[in-house]
Amino acid sequence: MKEPLTIVEIRDLTYTYPGADRPALREVNLSIERGEFLLLTGPSGCGKTTLCRCLNGLIPHFYSGRLEGEVWVAGLPVRETPTSSLAKHVGLIFQNPDNQIFALTVEKDVAFGLENLGYEREEMRRRIDWALRVTGIEDLRYRAPHELSGGQKQRLAIASVLAMRPEIIVLDEPTSFLDPVGAESILGIIDRLNRELNMTIILIEHRLDLVAPYLDRVVILNDGGIVQDGPPEEVFTSEETRLAGVGVPRVTDLWCRLREAWDRPGPPPLTASEFVKAIRDRLSRSSGSAAGDMPFKTIMRRKAPEAARGNPIIEVRDLHFSYPNGVKALKGVSLKIMRGEFLAIMGENGAGKTTLVKHFNGLLRPDRGEVYVDGKNIADMTVASLARRVGLVFQNPDDQLFSESVEEEIAFAMRNFAFDRDTIEKRTTWALDFLGLSRHRKASPFTLSGGERKRVALASVLAWDPEVIVLDEPTIGQDYAQKERLRGLLMRLREQGKTIVIVTHDVEFVAECKPRVALMAEGRITADGPAEEILTDPELLRRASVNPPEIAKVFIQLSEFSLPRDVINVDDAYDLLVDRLRGCEG
Amino acid sequence: MSMLEGLRFTAIPSPIHRLDPRVKFLLVSILFVSTILFSSLLPLLIIFLAQIPLILLARVQRAWLKTLRGAVTLGIIIFASNLLANYFYQGRTVTTGILELSLAMTVRFIALITSFSIFFLTTSPDKLSLALEKAHIPYELCFAFITAIRFVPVLAEEAQTIMDAQKARGLELEGGNFLQRIRNYLPILLPLIINSIRRSLELAEAMESRAFGAVEKRTNLYELEMTKRDYLALALSLAVLILVLYIRFRVPLPKYLLTPSRIL
Repeated sequence: MKEPLTIVEIRDLTYTYPGADRPALREVNLSIERGEFLLLTGPSGCGKTTLCRCLNGLIPHFYSGRLEGEVWVAGLPVRETPTSSLAKHVGLIFQNPDNQIFALTVEKDVAFGLENLGYEREEMRRRIDWALRVTGIEDLRYRAPHELSGGQKQRLAIASVLAMRPEIIVLDEPTSFLDPVGAESILGIIDRLNRELNMTIILIEHRLDLVAPYLDRVVILNDGGIVQDGPPEEVFTSEETRLAGVGVPRVTDLWCRLREAWDRPGPPPLTASEFVKAIRDRLSRSSGSAAGDMPFKTIMRRKAPEAARGNPIIEVRDLHFSYPNGVKALKGVSLKIMRGEFLAIMGENGAGKTTLVKHFNGLLRPDRGEVYVDGKNIADMTVASLARRVGLVFQNPDDQLFSESVEEEIAFAMRNFAFDRDTIEKRTTWALDFLGLSRHRKASPFTLSGGERKRVALASVLAWDPEVIVLDEPTIGQDYAQKERLRGLLMRLREQGKTIVIVTHDVEFVAECKPRVALMAEGRITADGPAEEILTDPELLRRASVNPPEIAKVFIQLSEFSLPRDVINVDDAYDLLVDRLRGCEG
Repeated sequence: MSMLEGLRFTAIPSPIHRLDPRVKFLLVSILFVSTILFSSLLPLLIIFLAQIPLILLARVQRAWLKTLRGAVTLGIIIFASNLLANYFYQGRTVTTGILELSLAMTVRFIALITSFSIFFLTTSPDKLSLALEKAHIPYELCFAFITAIRFVPVLAEEAQTIMDAQKARGLELEGGNFLQRIRNYLPILLPLIINSIRRSLELAEAMESRAFGAVEKRTNLYELEMTKRDYLALALSLAVLILVLYIRFRVPLPKYLLTPSRIL
């Protein structure tokens, strides 16, 4: 008998968490076919994770609350089937790999689900071998979880779910913590599961540029309801998607904007190579001799800010640092950061980026080499006195929030620095306003959403007005609108003359900010220069496990049309191409 | 912390590591009992020295030395308190007897630590948990034990990050009186606790998703099987026990070998 085509059927699903006053999901109808690769996206808090929990019975069995409507998965009614039985059909993989690994060795963790299901030892061995092979971690079999890298941990999480041979795999932002190359390899594994084993994939992700090539179908949730559902080409070009505040892939966005100037543009592209193919046809179709005569238009180069001259605000010379466990994190790093400069430090996980910035305020002290802040060697200065000038915002806001109210949280550092009461009051009000948190002033930080908590953490640092602001991975887990907001904030801080340093994997975010970029690999700085130069040099990027931004991939391949090569974001690309397309017609 | 650090298991292919945890537990218990039975320097020294070949055989000498280094303070306290107590008890004189007794107590302490080290350094928690399961300890407890061990490095890292984040906001941990110091640590403890609660929820979700508690009788990837080597070790251990008991209670040992402790 042929297996039924529909593997997930959701009808009129409305769900309200216990104690919540409004539903997290409203009237959701969705049916998913076996073997589909489906992307579930939408702004933070739109109900994506909640929907995933409904698929394996965590809702309503683990979370109580009010559930209306019906959910069938692999022919089983979720309401009546315990999560442990559904586990054989649906595997859930979560964002943080650390919180889904239970055992002390890789092999034993993969066995965990099988042991719970009571499989015989031989069958377990077979399945473990298979799962480790598919995810490419056979040689890590006897390692302990804390010895693995983030990417390896996430592969382990996939292997552990895979061993139960589910028909559906649901992944909730599985690549957030990984560097671009690590993320791509995880997506490659997921894609293989889909194509070779015909597994149904439901993926939650914000970074659509990364996942666009793999998708069959896109579902967009907003405020608990489905607002778009269809093939990626359709959904990514629709007005509703734009209104929901979802950031579509950059090349698709560029195509949409060029559509008017571009007669017969063909189907919307999802990847850089599709875009290149389309535009190459168009440009060569009508240009011929014209291409050579076309006036060569270059983007207006941003002039180096005045402040970039003069003395560096932070300078490190030949920095070496090893952790107590023997890991050599920095192997001779020298770097000058000028006053008022905007610098992005990029590179693979474990390249030493965070280690480096922790030297800027003395949290870490070098084994060898010197750190200068405003021309003074900081060897004898305390962290507290340095923190006053160099504000460091950590990746996870939950690693620092502890106060009863947002206001208290923001005042905490200023009290430590012994600011007087009036100043504290004034600066707190300013910071709340600057980050759009004023209405949460008296709220407990723990009742806020993830994005809001991140802003509270940022406010708590900006409040004391440090000259240098260092942000570690500010865009992780943030949706498109939140990133845009962050970009706006950073630009305003720049205008105020602040020096900004961000540590990030998010190449698209960097391409839009266009800062100076320093690439790191294996404890060294491997390249340093303007974003337009660094992000368009695939060779340099590869060494640091970073991929070029989508738009850069396009322009690298369009060099024959005498277009500049160093274009990295949609705005600049649009300006250049729209003229060219119009020019072709004339 | 460094004392606990030394007790962390590392997988090394050695005959001691391969030993069945139940047999190893018996062996260590016998060593433990022996150190309690004797209280004068020479036999304790012999017991201590007898453990060293085991340490070497298991190739855990480095971790063991680390543990001992961590135990130095406690060792000194034991030595000093014995010395002082006996000094006052025996009329404010220091005799060689008192010195010897204090030294014996210190050696006893070191011998005890060594026997613990042998067990914990060479027994994978997975095997230990399996042994506990075999002893009909409920699986939930064994699982909790394993999870606790699993998250020690995660928590340690998180504590460090939180400490860094708060220091970066001007928190100074040193200085002030006792109460002040406790207050200083609140900004570190609170996020740590809240994160742990959040983590436990996430863990529970992940456990459910991996069919935790699906069937009455869960299976285990590993199994404990007594090999010839284990039976040999078992026989040897029992022989040692009998020998020790015989020496202690049947052989008329010279009085100086049996000087009872006045303190312990």
